[in-house]
Amino acid sequence: MNQIKEDRRQWQDGMAKSITFIVTKDCQLACKYCYLVGKNEKERMTFEVAKQAIDYILEREEEFNEESVTWDFIGGEPFLEIELIDKICDYLKQRMFELNHHWFNSYRFNFSTNGINYDSKPVQDYIKKNITHLSIGITIDGTELKHDLNRVYKHSGKGSYKDVVKNIPLWLEQFPGAGTKVTISSADIPYIKESVLHLYSLGIKQVNINVVFEDVWKEGDDKLFEEQLMILADEIIEKEYYREYTCSFFSERLGKPLDKKLMNQNWCGAGKMLSIDAQGNFYPCTRFAQYSLRDKQALIIGNVKEGINKNLLRPFLCLDRCTQSKQECIDCEVAEGCAWCQGENYDAAKTNTIYERSTAICKMHKARVRANNYYWNKLFRKLELEGEREKFEKNKKEFNEKIC
Amino acid sequence: MLKYLVILLDEKSVSFCHYENPVKENKLISKEDLKAGILFAMKENLNIQFVYPSEELPKEYSEIINTIDHSDIKPISKQRADVLICNSVTEFSNNEINKEQVYVIRTKKEDFFTNLSLLKKNIFKVQRVNMVLTDIDTFSEKDFEKYKEALKELSLETEKQIGKGGFSQINILTDRIMLKQMNNCNAGAEVITLAPNGKFYVCPAFYLEDEKQSIGSLSEGVNIKNAQLYQLDHAPLCRICDSYHCKRCVWLNKKTTFELNTPSHEQCVVSHLERNAAKDLLLKTQIFDNEIKEIDYLDPFEVREQW
Amino acid sequence: MKKKVGQVTIEEKNEILRLFERRNGLTELSKVLTIDNDDLYERLVKDMGETQGKFQQWWDTMAAKYNWESSENGNWEINFDTCEIFLNC
Repeated sequence: MNQIKEDRRQWQDGMAKSITFIVTKDCQLACKYCYLVGKNEKERMTFEVAKQAIDYILEREEEFNEESVTWDFIGGEPFLEIELIDKICDYLKQRMFELNHHWFNSYRFNFSTNGINYDSKPVQDYIKKNITHLSIGITIDGTELKHDLNRVYKHSGKGSYKDVVKNIPLWLEQFPGAGTKVTISSADIPYIKESVLHLYSLGIKQVNINVVFEDVWKEGDDKLFEEQLMILADEIIEKEYYREYTCSFFSERLGKPLDKKLMNQNWCGAGKMLSIDAQGNFYPCTRFAQYSLRDKQALIIGNVKEGINKNLLRPFLCLDRCTQSKQECIDCEVAEGCAWCQGENYDAAKTNTIYERSTAICKMHKARVRANNYYWNKLFRKLELEGEREKFEKNKKEFNEKIC
Repeated sequence: MLKYLVILLDEKSVSFCHYENPVKENKLISKEDLKAGILFAMKENLNIQFVYPSEELPKEYSEIINTIDHSDIKPISKQRADVLICNSVTEFSNNEINKEQVYVIRTKKEDFFTNLSLLKKNIFKVQRVNMVLTDIDTFSEKDFEKYKEALKELSLETEKQIGKGGFSQINILTDRIMLKQMNNCNAGAEVITLAPNGKFYVCPAFYLEDEKQSIGSLSEGVNIKNAQLYQLDHAPLCRICDSYHCKRCVWLNKKTTFELNTPSHEQCVVSHLERNAAKDLLLKTQIFDNEIKEIDYLDPFEVREQW
Repeated sequence: MKKKVGQVTIEEKNEILRLFERRNGLTELSKVLTIDNDDLYERLVKDMGETQGKFQQWWDTMAAKYNWESSENGNWEINFDTCEIFLNC
């Protein structure tokens, strides 16, 4: 008599190596905030390139010695290449087993999709075939209005909400604990509250939401943002969503000063991850591929034929918080939880360096901290008055903030 | 804080470091820029180092140069200068060696390994030699082994010389013995270069690589973007390192790792082999009051700070 | 009804988690491998048997070690997050 409880944990708590195949640079949509400035219909990965990358990686088990692996597929829209992905995954499973690689005991296939062809037969066949090793996130931005404000079809300009939302029930049935990723740009601020609540109403219990790192913020955006988060906080507390739902804007690990020595870790995992594009080039993260850069040259660290130039990884693996930050960030009283993206730092830097932290989100972070403080103070007071605080602490949902 | 200004007097000014100067045609810095460069250095309190081509300078240039206290860096063919540059061990050995001179021997690993005996024979005839291995970035595991052996041989010879009461400084062996803190090239932090086009550069290598990499001009002054990245405290590996004699060449760093503040594996290992050779020599000779610790790594990347 | 009947150590949990993942991996690989691929197919079949055996062995060993409460038609389950063992009956 035995049984294993279905495993819905946060996948290996960051101990996994993330390896990303940029299978296509094409997408049905042309989202207005998309950082992929160089999307196109031509650059599609071939199986041969993927195979060479897999062989290179799997034959170097000592070098790639992380306990687990996440094989990540991104685009564009990855499910546009479902046949290729299916072939890649079959090859991966076979090779990991053949080589008796330790990753055979600990791997996931991960997808961020726009959800449009989620219910198609090829995608569904693939899901059924690999169900115990899948992690799939569908991006839906909130209400129809908010979603269609940004997530529009590239040719018609029409909003994509209806085509995505129809697939949410099937997705949640297959992945009950799945979360969605919401990206907030300047124009989206007024819709934050209703969008998060709308996602909850669709049955999505985990909303990973973040503001874009790019320098897009206008005068007064921070004030508006703070107001939106506060009315969202009121609603979450009043309707008691906090019992079962999470919204990553609110975190207890946010807004404290950070010790220069003890809390000096880099935020971003660039360099510990690996991305491969259609040409077989390796990148420290997808954000360093040319199609995601506005002003800088791609930062290629090798290719499937010649391998990885380890000297080019050294700067990434030496990155810490303080060395790349301005003094005002090091001294900041609310530094905890203020994120950055290494790719955006590189793209926005005055020189060709990954060691200059972009501070474009500074005022937005500070607004978030104020609203976050309000949320927890209000929530804890309510719980204390109800005698529920201890129970809440015991059962509260932990989540790792996912921002890219 | 800036302390030195290197002035390249000509497009063909001799290379005194890792970079090559491929320029074939002479083109002197203009007299106006030369004067303005000297004036700039005077006002900023910078020591000037003039770098010469093989060809003779016009008399009026020498007159301008002599209006200020300075050091001269010249090709070995010039025979007299504060620093004389040779482009191989053979070139150094084939020239008349002057005991009072400081020499820079720019060499490649093959030349260095092949002509080690020749080097040992002549290197102790002068007060100081700076060896510059221009192809450090191509060192393989085998080369590291060979280099370790070569340093051992040089060290043995130095030990003998010390026994006889002599001592010549060889940067790759004896500098670390004398140092108690970092003493690097410091281009971009303490030293900048004025090129013949009247613009400032981090060092001559950046100028020769791409003229567009200027960090200012005589008319507009110096403006180094992300200047903090030239400082030791912004170099995560170097700030925890005790290979104090390492050139910490920001140009080589940029070339090999794409970042000014991060050295390549090859650079770190070569510097540590030198450091360790210095440690052994110090232990045997006790020639200076210094301490170099025993360590079990050759690349500080292996012991980098991690959180 | 579900009730907590015990707890295993993290190391013990990791062992069963590894076997659980391997079993899933082998099952999904079996959908891809065909009998034409003789050697690998044989290895797979053998591995499936071995893994299932080790899997059962783990439960037997742990049950004996911790003496968990059981019931005739019930089953135990493990929560990988907390290392807790539950009895469903």
